[in-house]
Amino acid sequence: MMKTVNIPISRRLALGAAITAAGLALSGCGGGSAPAAGGGGNVELNFVYWGDSNRAKMTDAAIKVFEEKNPGITVKSEYQDSGPYADKLATRFAGGNPPDVLNMANRSLLEYAQRGTLADLKSFPEVDLGNIPEAIQSRGEVDGKLYGLATGVTTIGMVVNKTITDQAGVTIPDDKTWGWEDYAKFASEVTQKTGGKIYGAGYDVATETGPILFARQRGEDFYTKDNKLGVSEETIRDWFQYSVDLRAAGGYPPAGFFEQVGGSAAQSYLAKGTVASQIIPINNYKAYNEAAGGNLVLLRMPGETTEQRRGYSADPSMLWSIAAKSKHPKEAAKLMNFLINDVDGAAETLTQRGVPINPEVTEAIMPKLGADDTKFVQMVADIQEDELAPAYVYPKGASVVADTLKQLATEVEFGRVTPADAAKTFLEKSNAAINK
Amino acid sequence: MSVLTKQAPAAAATLAGPGGRPGRARPKRKNQRSGYLFLLPWFIGMLFTIIPFFASLYLAFTDYNLFTEPNFVGLANFQAMFEDPRLLQSLKVTFIYTFVSVPISLAVALLIAIVLNRGLQGLAIYRSVYYLPSLLGGSVAIVMLWRYIFGNDGIVNSALGFLGIQGPAWVTDPEYALSTLIVLNVWTFGSPMVIFLAGLRQVPTMYYEAASIDGASRWRQFRSITLPLISPIIFFNLIMQLIGSFQTFTQGYVMSGGTGGPADSTLFYNLYLYQKGFTEFEMGYASAMAWLLLMIIAIFTAINFIASKFWVFYDN
Repeated sequence: MMKTVNIPISRRLALGAAITAAGLALSGCGGGSAPAAGGGGNVELNFVYWGDSNRAKMTDAAIKVFEEKNPGITVKSEYQDSGPYADKLATRFAGGNPPDVLNMANRSLLEYAQRGTLADLKSFPEVDLGNIPEAIQSRGEVDGKLYGLATGVTTIGMVVNKTITDQAGVTIPDDKTWGWEDYAKFASEVTQKTGGKIYGAGYDVATETGPILFARQRGEDFYTKDNKLGVSEETIRDWFQYSVDLRAAGGYPPAGFFEQVGGSAAQSYLAKGTVASQIIPINNYKAYNEAAGGNLVLLRMPGETTEQRRGYSADPSMLWSIAAKSKHPKEAAKLMNFLINDVDGAAETLTQRGVPINPEVTEAIMPKLGADDTKFVQMVADIQEDELAPAYVYPKGASVVADTLKQLATEVEFGRVTPADAAKTFLEKSNAAINK
Repeated sequence: MSVLTKQAPAAAATLAGPGGRPGRARPKRKNQRSGYLFLLPWFIGMLFTIIPFFASLYLAFTDYNLFTEPNFVGLANFQAMFEDPRLLQSLKVTFIYTFVSVPISLAVALLIAIVLNRGLQGLAIYRSVYYLPSLLGGSVAIVMLWRYIFGNDGIVNSALGFLGIQGPAWVTDPEYALSTLIVLNVWTFGSPMVIFLAGLRQVPTMYYEAASIDGASRWRQFRSITLPLISPIIFFNLIMQLIGSFQTFTQGYVMSGGTGGPADSTLFYNLYLYQKGFTEFEMGYASAMAWLLLMIIAIFTAINFIASKFWVFYDN
């Protein structure tokens, strides 16, 4: 008799639990979107982006300018850290309730665009593309349609903490001519002269921008013009091998050293003072310099003159897009135009999201920039003095490629696979994801 | 005695007051009504899950990608699972986690419950202190805290360093990352403990009195009186813990920043399901995975129910 009482309850609990498991799939089936309204009265735009509170403060100030210039439109904005942002964006679209104007990552653009979720920005008369260079537009273009516009232009660079190198008595090599070997030698020397307290190198092996530049220096396109993977197995192997050798030489920290709790400049190892150099997207130079004590030197990446060709490219730091299902496309386009062309708006956001893509806007805000941001803009201009090989839109599946790189970098870090095997696996998995 | 066992699953609720005395049976009808009343929140919640429940069953047989209309693809999703190495990895992680942490946390829970049951002063305080972690264990903040405790400069490695031991990278080394989460799960033994405690308090003391008159040792009493009498509660806890741990998500997500890393060593099944659905946009496949998990949980629960005939004792 007891059994009959006990069992159904437990069964019910088990079933309830199982339903919860199945319920995880729930968010996949939201309702349809409301009918388009648009036009007269007060329109509320949904505007989402990723970033930190500092970026949000600047963005809010710009939004205020937009609202003043466009009575009848209010902008409701929301931001998250990049990881959660990406997850949430997917559910917003899936739920049939996409934001009107949104931040899009290079690696996700095609994922969204090829599924018809983004609007063609060329179809809006409100968006003035007159001053936007072709090369920039091409990074948001798919099959002749413009799905994303760069929020700004940036690239990567090496930052070195000069306070540390001065104390250690190590000279920073000339970044106009240095090669990867010079960087390795420099990093190992720093570790040695600080008695192993500070590691000379602290760049992230697993962020794709590193190997992308590395591949370009070797004459390969990491991602090709026809949206495929173009990097060779040897290049990926050497990229991994370089970090393994550098670790063995002492220049790079031991396995498990980087815990990456949070990704902001303030939480970086550079700021903690446990590494002397790092590769960063250089639009963040100001933030890193402030976090690391104000004596960071901004350098070009190694290998630009010693390898086959220049590896640099001026890239969108991220993109702005408009949802195809936006209920207020006209107003959304106005906001888009404001974001890329408005000098007063840019005066609030400055170069937070990269060098503005409209050269006139850049010129207008230059006097307002502090020393660090000026250095950043100068460097972006400098690297473009010579002709650089073209760079292309990231293919569909690029986010899986990024995850795969991260996974394999860890395997290599702990010596679970050799760089050669990791490179082989990387190509297999990445090609599978891209060609799916 | 009959009331005692009947109420065992709801024992946590009973605990609020001093241990209920057996033998005071209420009218059955009234009992049932209050039972349904307690279940009411679940019924309401059910309304929100029943539609997605069936939707996911349908989607499991489609190529739904979140953005465009789903197309029926038959069993393709289920077939693809057999060739998915990450799915196997996620099953491995989940099974290891479950089969290591569930027995340990149940044993710890029972042990602490027995200690607390010996009539300590300030029982309520101890009970709350031990129960607290299980309220917090699945929360983001605690997992973050865990990262720091087990971090390279965390207190665990500092303590080990004090003893002259170079601790491993608990969080970032693929060999250790999962064990860190297992420890976290064991630490949240509070909710089975509270249920054990309720069960222990309802074992009539006369049995022990009789046994000690007969000269039975404490261990003997535990084996021959305590264990059989609380075996339905052990069974209940086992099932609940098993189901809960098969569905682990937050710990893995927060600890690895959503990647299941380092090197997929904390790629829990539900975390992989989530990745498939929301970062790779393969919601059809993710739905199929959800149903596979349902089947796995159902099978393990069924096995437990069958096995329970041999060890769970219902005192008639």
